[in-house]
Amino acid sequence: MSLGEPNLSRRPDGAALFIALLLAAIAAVIIWQTSMMRVPPIQARVGPQVFPYVIAGGLILLAIGTALSAWRGQFPAREKDNYGPMLWIIGGLIGQMLLLGWAGFSIGTAVLFAFTAKGFGRGPLWQTLPIGLVLSFVIWFIFSRGLQLSLPMGPLERLIP
Amino acid sequence: MDTFGLLADGLLAALQVHNLLYALIGVTLGTAVGVLPGIGPALTVALLLPVTYRLDATGSLIMFAGIYYGGMYGGSTTSILLNTPGESASIVTALEGNKMARKGRGGPALATAAIGSFIAGLIATIALAFLAPWVVKAALAFGPADYFALMVLAFVTVSAAFGDSALRGITALFIGLGLGVIGIDLQTGQARLAFGIPDLLDGIEVTTLAVALFAIGETLSIASSRSQIKEEVLAVKGSVWMTLEDWKRSWPAWLRGTVIGFPIGAMPAGGAEIGTFFSYAAEKRLSKHPEEFGHGAIEGVAGPEAANNASAAGTLVPLLTLGLPTSATAAIMLAGFQQFGLQPGPLLFANNAPLVWSLVASLLIANFMLLVLNLPLIGLWVKLLTIPKHWLYAGILTFATLGTLGANGALSGRLGPIPFSFELLILLAFGLLGYGLRRFGYPIAPVVIGLILGPLAEQQLRRALAISQGDPLVLVHSPIAITLYVIAAIALLLPIFLRMRGKGEVLGQLAANED
Amino acid sequence: MNKLFLAALISGALALPTYAADYTIMAPAAPGGGWDQTARSMQEALQAEGISGNVQVTNVPGAGGTIGLAQFVNQSTGNPNALIVGGYVMVGAVLTNASPVSLANVTPIARLTGESDVIVVPAASELQTVDDLTAKLKADPGSVSWAGGSAGGVDHIAAGLFAKTVGVDPTLVNYIAFSGGGEALAAVLGGQVTVGISGLGEFDAQIKSGDLRALATTGSARLEGSDIPTLGEAGVDLVVENWRMVAAAPGITDEQKTAITADVEKLVTSATWKQTLETKGWQDMYLSGADFDTQLAADIDATSAILKDIGLVQ
Repeated sequence: MSLGEPNLSRRPDGAALFIALLLAAIAAVIIWQTSMMRVPPIQARVGPQVFPYVIAGGLILLAIGTALSAWRGQFPAREKDNYGPMLWIIGGLIGQMLLLGWAGFSIGTAVLFAFTAKGFGRGPLWQTLPIGLVLSFVIWFIFSRGLQLSLPMGPLERLIP
Repeated sequence: MDTFGLLADGLLAALQVHNLLYALIGVTLGTAVGVLPGIGPALTVALLLPVTYRLDATGSLIMFAGIYYGGMYGGSTTSILLNTPGESASIVTALEGNKMARKGRGGPALATAAIGSFIAGLIATIALAFLAPWVVKAALAFGPADYFALMVLAFVTVSAAFGDSALRGITALFIGLGLGVIGIDLQTGQARLAFGIPDLLDGIEVTTLAVALFAIGETLSIASSRSQIKEEVLAVKGSVWMTLEDWKRSWPAWLRGTVIGFPIGAMPAGGAEIGTFFSYAAEKRLSKHPEEFGHGAIEGVAGPEAANNASAAGTLVPLLTLGLPTSATAAIMLAGFQQFGLQPGPLLFANNAPLVWSLVASLLIANFMLLVLNLPLIGLWVKLLTIPKHWLYAGILTFATLGTLGANGALSGRLGPIPFSFELLILLAFGLLGYGLRRFGYPIAPVVIGLILGPLAEQQLRRALAISQGDPLVLVHSPIAITLYVIAAIALLLPIFLRMRGKGEVLGQLAANED
Repeated sequence: MNKLFLAALISGALALPTYAADYTIMAPAAPGGGWDQTARSMQEALQAEGISGNVQVTNVPGAGGTIGLAQFVNQSTGNPNALIVGGYVMVGAVLTNASPVSLANVTPIARLTGESDVIVVPAASELQTVDDLTAKLKADPGSVSWAGGSAGGVDHIAAGLFAKTVGVDPTLVNYIAFSGGGEALAAVLGGQVTVGISGLGEFDAQIKSGDLRALATTGSARLEGSDIPTLGEAGVDLVVENWRMVAAAPGITDEQKTAITADVEKLVTSATWKQTLETKGWQDMYLSGADFDTQLAADIDATSAILKDIGLVQ
């Protein structure tokens, strides 16, 4: 992974400052949600709110620490990321998620498979989609019919009695 | 009949040719399914359990034991080679194991995992057979205050898994702790941080988080990295077998892992993965090569793998003697045992002695079969690394989502007219989190550790204080708790003390210099 | 433990190849547990007795059955082939989770089985009888720690009702929730808590082996051949039974409801079902029609009242 020498330029690290902000925001959400909790009267001692508050407090301290560290540029250097491939994979995961319910396991997973391969530079889709389809159908058959795992069915799966 | 006689009978029955064959089939099936990324031992056993129903009692027990061990070992294989642990217990294995695999030392990593699992399984199964009644008595002596002390010790020692920056390690841990709060609070039945979403009421599933952070996060991270996507992974560099040096460094780790894992597995509220955390921490502290940790130290694979297997045998102690399943895998085993006519509970050893002993014998035989089958296959497993990245990661995501769907696949979400699986949405969200963590150099394991330990620590603390009616002295009331706190204090202070004496470094270094 | 669900799912599925279903029974739980077993036993008996040609069981676990219940109401309205298994736990879960759907949104058909809770103490405990427990509770309610299942569940409700019945403020009950009866069992055996309260099945083996002493069950009648008194016999006028029921979809016609009720009636009188009750150790608590509706309404009222008393529900 991209762990390496610290960022030598020692300039404030914008992205890391953003992390600090994010941690603080999470802490704020935890405090806000926890303060809205209704606590049953039986819990006079350490109640359900104590741990969330402690964790939120810790997150605030960590946000401050992160901000300081980002200010001093102490985060490890990162290489510039390539977002194209990532979007393919995320697209594949979302595609699978939305297809499963009505198109079934095989079609949904074929999309995930082909999009992921595409993200790693293997295309074209008209080649990888059928490969993915055959693979996921075989997997569906083995796990659903052979091992009785309940997996979503679609038109393709219903072809098999 | 005495214990030895019964065990010998069981072994004789198990050693018949057809039973050995069942063991072999079980181990093969278990390894084959368990090796799929995202499908951990619990799911493997659940999926394959019915296969055993068609055999006679002895045969099915033996095949079942084989599946169990095969599934566990298969999970470690993917952890080591692909950095995709299928269950929380093999997360620690991935820490060092995958680093070894990336250096072309996947063979020795798999070997030390296999042999360590075998040795730990052997010792722990024998301990189960002879010590179960005493071990369970000791385990029952642990009250909520003692468990809380154990959790404190775990928090202190797992900092060994925090990587090279205390700030980022603790941040990762706190993210995990925060996730652990989500869901219905056990003590009051009130929802916390569920934002009105029913699917969140039961909390975040540890397996889903682990698969998302590791498998999905890793895939995203590699795909988006210009250098890593092209990087050629060496399948084998040097020997595929363990060298003499590897042996020398592995065997003490195996034994320590066994000693740590077994009792923790035996505790009714222990949790199998905690032993692997402790073992990793211990190895890191005791190693003569601490600088190698985080870069592929073989002890960091040997110890936790042994601890994992020993604690798996340990979970059989409360399972058999009290009928108490303490892990997901144990819960499925309980279902299996009942199918085989074993009624776990205090009267089991008295009423079902022959079956218990054939179970013990089966575990021993299956454990042995695992070694026989898998050692020769190591050369084949490491070839997994030579699969082109596009197919490999497409396959990993396929199986990761399959495992998630299989374990918790209700299509309970809804986007307009389209139903979708909420668990897959969680998988995606945490996959992105895993990517972000990697990108900014945060360690992954503490997030999962936080999710596991946080709720345990909280519940035990609140139970202890409730039972004592709010008297905080209860926390240091028992000798067990005091002992654990002392160990925790030593673990925390000793390295600082040594460092101050050794190198004259300042205490402040700990917090200030994150890199 | 969603993995448990797979084990149960698979064993059920293996036994019964699936065809087009006459009934689809939803078990709104992570199976292996009571609701799942109930659904699968129904499936088996309905098919074996030829009452229904084909029956499928689906599992939708989560949040005390309320996730399954919500999905059932959303997807099955007006469907005369859809059934859902539920139980007393659901009554409490609907209230504590502030679930948008409740048992009022489905068409209850019949109560099928039940199990009473049992109050146990470690063998070495000074408490010998229910009277001892009552005395200790009255003297200092906080000094009696009760170990049982999750907060707001049937064990918690039973403990709260016990206090209320003997005249102790239920908010003072020192209830320690454990995830499942198993962990509670370990706490009682280890002497960490004063009493344990959970389903009889959870403690049965340890009661038989003498490691635990049963003070009383919360059932309406003594179990056959058992020497454990009921709370009523021990002088505390209280019955808490963890029953399981079957309900049909909302929006079905009266004729459809009658037909389903008739099928369920056939089911519970069948030899296969009787056999199942025996092997699983379930008590037959069959009750249908108006009697069940009345009973259900009474149970919901009582539960709602005690959950408010304990402070879990406003």
